[in-house]
Amino acid sequence: MTDEAQIAAVPPVDSKREARAIAFGIAGWLVPGLGHALQRMWGRAITFFGVVGVLVFVGAGMRGNLFNSQGGDAFATLGYVADLGTGGFYLLAKYIEVGGPDVSHAYGDYGTRFLAAAGVLNLLAALHAYEAARGRKG
Amino acid sequence: MKFHLSHLQAMLLFGLLISIAFGFLSRRRALDRVKYIAWSLLLFLLFGIGIGWAMYPFSR
Repeated sequence: MTDEAQIAAVPPVDSKREARAIAFGIAGWLVPGLGHALQRMWGRAITFFGVVGVLVFVGAGMRGNLFNSQGGDAFATLGYVADLGTGGFYLLAKYIEVGGPDVSHAYGDYGTRFLAAAGVLNLLAALHAYEAARGRKG
Repeated sequence: MKFHLSHLQAMLLFGLLISIAFGFLSRRRALDRVKYIAWSLLLFLLFGIGIGWAMYPFSR
């Protein structure tokens, strides 16, 4: 088989479908579960909304450290990226945590982990929504 | 609003939530999801309590 024949055998990229998949991924990041809800995957949509929501709510309620863009070191920057993963819930956490973080107690430190886990989990869910829209995941 | 969860309560809640999310993410059928969630939660608890006890001799 020649190189030309091999290239022709590769299915063409459907740019419309790709754009839709990216839009679903971004929607899923901004509002946890929305990327799946738009694809009528209701179970996953409700689950991700609920799980990320509870993690953020409890994490902020435990006065976990919600990182901002003025982090002084690499760990603070990583924490900020993880927290940003919660999308719109980042603002909710800021609203709940009016007293600021308190990591002098163990529960404050746990709260930091809850918030970071919520962000990373939501990024994973958004990536899943993107892959599902592309037809790679069921 | 404040939550003062103990170590065990925090671990239980964290393990349960993450197990549910992973179960829904990686399995499609309801029964498979329940099995996955139960197994994942059990491992979370076993490893959490196991690591806690492993660190006990060095805690003071």
